[in-house]
Amino acid sequence: MAMLEINNLDKSFGKRKAVDDLSFSVREGEVFGLLGPNGAGKSTTLSLISGLQRPNKGRVTVGGINVGEDSLRAKALIGVVPQEPAIYPQLSARANLRFWGELNGLSKKELASAVERALTIVGLTDRADERCSKLSGGMKRRLNIAAGLIHSPKLLIMDEPTVGVDPQSRHHILETVKELKAQGTTIIYTSHYVEEVEQLCDRVAIMDHGKLLSIGTLPELLGQAGEYQELIITLRTTPESILPVIQALPWVQNAVVTNDVLAILTANAELALPQVFQTIVENELELAEIKINKPSLESLFLKLTGRTLRD
Amino acid sequence: MKKSLSIARVGFRQMFTDPMYMVFTLGMPLVMTWAMSFLPKVEGVYEMASLGVLVMFVALNLITSASAVIEEKQNGTWQRILCSPTSYSAVMGGYFIKLFVVAWVQALILLLSGKFLFGAPWNSGYAELAVVLTVYIFSMTGLGLFLASILKTQSQVQAVATGVVMVGTMLGDVFFPMENPSGIIKLIATISPQAWAAHALRDIMTTGAGLVPLIVPMLWMIGTGAVLLTAGVWRIKLDR
Ligand SMILES: Nc1ncnc2c1ncn2[C@@H]1O[C@H](COP(=O)(O)OP(=O)(O)O)[C@@H](O)[C@H]1O
Ligand SMILES: [Mg+2]
Repeated sequence: MAMLEINNLDKSFGKRKAVDDLSFSVREGEVFGLLGPNGAGKSTTLSLISGLQRPNKGRVTVGGINVGEDSLRAKALIGVVPQEPAIYPQLSARANLRFWGELNGLSKKELASAVERALTIVGLTDRADERCSKLSGGMKRRLNIAAGLIHSPKLLIMDEPTVGVDPQSRHHILETVKELKAQGTTIIYTSHYVEEVEQLCDRVAIMDHGKLLSIGTLPELLGQAGEYQELIITLRTTPESILPVIQALPWVQNAVVTNDVLAILTANAELALPQVFQTIVENELELAEIKINKPSLESLFLKLTGRTLRD
Repeated sequence: MKKSLSIARVGFRQMFTDPMYMVFTLGMPLVMTWAMSFLPKVEGVYEMASLGVLVMFVALNLITSASAVIEEKQNGTWQRILCSPTSYSAVMGGYFIKLFVVAWVQALILLLSGKFLFGAPWNSGYAELAVVLTVYIFSMTGLGLFLASILKTQSQVQAVATGVVMVGTMLGDVFFPMENPSGIIKLIATISPQAWAAHALRDIMTTGAGLVPLIVPMLWMIGTGAVLLTAGVWRIKLDR
């Protein structure tokens, strides 16, 4: 059964279309990845799902309930983990969780055990009574997750939960997602990190400029990426002028430069590399690092849009 | 209703953990009420001034507390509240309860300390006082929520609140009894809610004035309060 169904969703801010005729569905029990660069419309899509914003057009159905028509009943099924931690800094983690539990309709009896459960899941039990303003950034993000799952929602929506966290918290967050999946929670996981999405998600939707570019299981999407590989070349400095030269090389499908990192999509790295090297040498550029990526969602995105997911 | 109480309770807890807020809403007005007690207790001079302090700080408290909505929008808790299965009327009900309760608690502390610590001479008119204060608190709650809905930052709210309230009391013939005030001062004393409330409370506490002559101004206060409240509640939701 579909836990979430989105049909022909449109959302504009002034002239800018943040979400453009978006349709997809998420099955019960799966971890569904929403992958796209900054500004792709991921957060907007999530606030249309959670009922925080209303679409200009289209329909969202959660667990068979139309969010536009019966929003309170739909909201009860959803847990939200916003991109930025949404907690009261003056209160303790425990006080925060009690409050979010109450708002989500937990009874007094359920509340105590739900709070302890959520604290355990995110590993904050021993810091639970400190003021949140004293917690580290990663811990705040973990509390943010705990607040989203306090009422054991059927559908958990996570918006880039690992942006800017320390490696330890990041590891903890990824483990939390796996644990929640094992308990049967349906999860929408938004990210612009390919590795996370590849590691966690059963199915992935790739979006850019508010549009769905591709959707499928990881093998399906990698199949679309075809035999393409990605050459990631970091230079000390990268003048814009070499881009057209690189793009014109044989075996190079596409190339982009972001922050001195040259990303090249190629059907054959072994044949493309010597030519790329020669160009670098001819332009007297200094090489810092070189990496060959196997076909990945990253190379698929590059193939679909001619851009990288990285900022 | 249960959720409204949860929202109000979280609001109280935030306030009590904020020392600046406590100094601003209780510490400062208490010191000023104490200072006013050295005024001559003749012709309502003391009543006017100490009730003026109360009226002024209740309004500042209400407007500042209402602007917590802006802070909540900035730190995302507002959006999280709206994502929960809580009706919008329950959310705003929670805010309303919070504001009404903190204003009344503050007013009671100031009134009781005036009476029992600083020797205020009044001993009747409490029912009328309660009615006038309730009307005043209601209208200032409306103003606070309205300001919170049209302004973008808390410091803007702070500035507007200070302007409105200070001018209303300082120039509204509240603290400095004026002889032959100019036209503009008369106008401010007439239209400022602070000046109106301070004068009404003084008349109640000194001459035992009744509510009958106050009915029209009270209806006016309730009316504008209701309009501002409605506009504020509507706009706060709209602006996401
Ligand atoms: N409240 C808003 N007002 C105006 N523009 C917005 C608003 N929210 C998002 N946008 C715009 O919509 C687009 C999609 O944004 P967003 O959904 O936040 O993308 P993502 O989460 O994928 O980074 C961006 O161009 C952004 O500037
Ligand atoms: Mg986003």
